[in-house]
Amino acid sequence: MSIEKPWFAIRKPLSPQRQTLLTLCSFLLPIAVWCVVSYVPFIWHPDMVVTISADRSDVTTVYSVGDRLPRDKESENDFVFEDFVEAVRVQNESVLEAREANDPLVTTSRTNKKVLRHLAPVGIAEGWLTRDQATDDAAIYQLWGDIATGERVPTSVPLSEENKEIVAENWAILSGISETYESKKIPKEALRTLVPQGKPSNPVFVPPPHEVVATGWYDWTHQRDPSKPSMPERYVHSLKIVFGGFLLSCLIGIPLGILGGTYDFFAKLIEPFTDFFRYMPAPAFSTVLVAILSVYDAPKIGLVFLGTFFQMVLVLSNTTKMLDRSLLEAAQTLGAKSRHLMFRVIVPGILPKLYNDLRILLGWSWTWLVIAELIGTKSGLTEFIETQGRFRNFDSVYPSIIVIGLTGYITDQILASLRPVFFSWDPEHSGKKPLWIFRGFFWLVDQDCYDRTTPERKPLISQ
Amino acid sequence: MTEEFHLPSYREQSPKVSARFKKLYERRIKMEIKGLSKTFQTSKGTTTALNKIDFSIHHREFVSVLGPSGCGKSTLIRILAGLDFPTGGEVLLEGKPVTGPGSDRGMVFQGYTLFPWLTVKKNVMFGLELSGRSGSAVESEARSWINIVGLSGFEDSYPSQLSGGMKQRVAIARSLANNPSILFMDEPFGALDAQTRAQMQSYLLQIWKNVDVTIMFVTHDLDEAIYLSDRILVLKANPGEVNEVIEVPVPRPRSPEQFITPEFLATRQRLEELIHPKGAIEEKELPVVRMVSAEDEVE
Ligand SMILES: Nc1ncnc2c1ncn2[C@@H]1O[C@H](COP(=O)(O)OP(=O)(O)OP(=O)(O)O)[C@@H](O)[C@H]1O
Ligand SMILES: [Mg+2]
Repeated sequence: MSIEKPWFAIRKPLSPQRQTLLTLCSFLLPIAVWCVVSYVPFIWHPDMVVTISADRSDVTTVYSVGDRLPRDKESENDFVFEDFVEAVRVQNESVLEAREANDPLVTTSRTNKKVLRHLAPVGIAEGWLTRDQATDDAAIYQLWGDIATGERVPTSVPLSEENKEIVAENWAILSGISETYESKKIPKEALRTLVPQGKPSNPVFVPPPHEVVATGWYDWTHQRDPSKPSMPERYVHSLKIVFGGFLLSCLIGIPLGILGGTYDFFAKLIEPFTDFFRYMPAPAFSTVLVAILSVYDAPKIGLVFLGTFFQMVLVLSNTTKMLDRSLLEAAQTLGAKSRHLMFRVIVPGILPKLYNDLRILLGWSWTWLVIAELIGTKSGLTEFIETQGRFRNFDSVYPSIIVIGLTGYITDQILASLRPVFFSWDPEHSGKKPLWIFRGFFWLVDQDCYDRTTPERKPLISQ
Repeated sequence: MTEEFHLPSYREQSPKVSARFKKLYERRIKMEIKGLSKTFQTSKGTTTALNKIDFSIHHREFVSVLGPSGCGKSTLIRILAGLDFPTGGEVLLEGKPVTGPGSDRGMVFQGYTLFPWLTVKKNVMFGLELSGRSGSAVESEARSWINIVGLSGFEDSYPSQLSGGMKQRVAIARSLANNPSILFMDEPFGALDAQTRAQMQSYLLQIWKNVDVTIMFVTHDLDEAIYLSDRILVLKANPGEVNEVIEVPVPRPRSPEQFITPEFLATRQRLEELIHPKGAIEEKELPVVRMVSAEDEVE
């Protein structure tokens, strides 16, 4: 019989099942919060997104379908959705009044065509019209007829009672002249415009998950603009910058760090300046980098390098200094000279810590990516994020940000799970097994890695 | 303990033992320590760790260094191994002054200091490979050393997979494989449990018997010192000076049964006197008293 262990125990590890469960939860909880905020209508939703719009004759501000207006007035000067609706109603009122006074307002047929076009988004939302048909007057004319006669009933954007009345009334006027669309036969008498309709929504910077997934999928599988690089191309470009800068930094930083940790000479020569330089923010050098390295990728890689290199030298020098001195002494009593100490004791001795340091430093490199891609000619994922962000297409922005995050996270997880493969001797790993995908590889490298022979004392065999 | 009064003097040697010592002193001097001093400069001033130590170790001798904590045993042995430098005096190894560490002087540390990234076999081969040798000859030599310390079957284990006693045996094998003319051991069995320790002591005696090596062994365990050594160098603290050099009157070959022989007990008593002089450990009344009921009284 197993004892039910508590979920909350101070500094006691949970069972693997519980650990896995909680790991899942740590990702699922934020997603759940996002879903709740997005899909439960009475939570938050401070805006109204326009589903049916209207033109106003008195002002030039135009709200088109998909635009957001605040729902509640917070101050006198706020223009909220209800104000928009009210303004259009007043405008319609004057049309009716004039008509009742037998002196109908006269306008142009062009204006009336515009009035008719405001029904197009309903047809598009229902799938009766394609996106291209938003200005197809003939199809829209047909749609007015279909909705007025009840042949078609919109469900995605159900019409309000007053709009149903307006559709019927306008169709009566239109059909009195022609049942089908003819450009010349649009009346000049002012028609009542549809009253704006909307639905509660969150601000544009919190798009719901399904939109983000759908837009992300579309962006990453289709090429919107053939003259610009596709998303996978941008991604590869971004990877090149991060890993380019990081590897360059490794190439110089690892030897310098190890030298600094080994010889006091190098430590005193290198570390003070490095320590000073790392406080100067790397992005501050962006214009200098562009001036020196010109445009394209060189200054970008240079920036990632600047941001990573100085930290790397200091961290690795410190790691090297942490190596147990008595190992060096032991090697010396075994006849090791300086060059032996470096390559047979120091380097292999610090490798597992160095590996971990490099993992952390690689994470650091990723943080410089966005700034690096903004300097000189904008490029890679950042350029896409920037452009889409300016157009407030946040459903395009988030997938790219998430891809950057996932790449960093997954790289690190893979490197972490490969560590026991490389450093099976490290006591830190005793009992820990690498991810199943790497076990095959592990077995190739070291076939005895799993049988932990129980230490037992053997009798002394004398020569 | 009335018997204690009839203990012979620790200086009394059976003819066999004194003949052995005579033969030992005829052997050549392996290491000579002449007026060795060491002071440390610290922020709180200077500490004299060692003060004018004179001592000679003969070929194939087993010498133990004994003394209270902080008397400079580790400092002495580190200087002899060349890992530290004296501030006065000199050390001669077979007539030549010691200037730094070298493969002719092996060292076994209390903290094992195995290379954790190398297997047992590779650890043992470390010194051999440094001397420029490689190939199957080195490997078979390493195997035989592993065999000697009783670890065959663990050649490909990593140090983290071994127990403390096994690690120390690997460390011994690693030092011996290098064929040092003298082996220094700084409390090598200090971290082991009593049982493993006893076992390691008899391993060490057997190894010493079979391998051409001179051993200098630091310990603070009196029994260990008597059981293993020919002579015991007793140091005193503040400053570290030679207190007495004791010729152990217990005949060889040694066995654990000798722990209760009169010679052994006499030597032990003398060491007790030297290390813990009378009055050094006074029975102090504890300041804490908690009422104990009469039937729970323990003494
Ligand atoms: N690197 C050092 N710097 C300053 N003082 C030191 C240093 N190493 C040792 N000492 C001092 O020298 C003295 C002897 O130290 P040592 O380590 O040799 O003692 P020990 O006999 O080995 O003690 P133990 O039995 O506890 O191991 C101590 O007083 C110690 O404080
Ligand atoms: Mg010591």
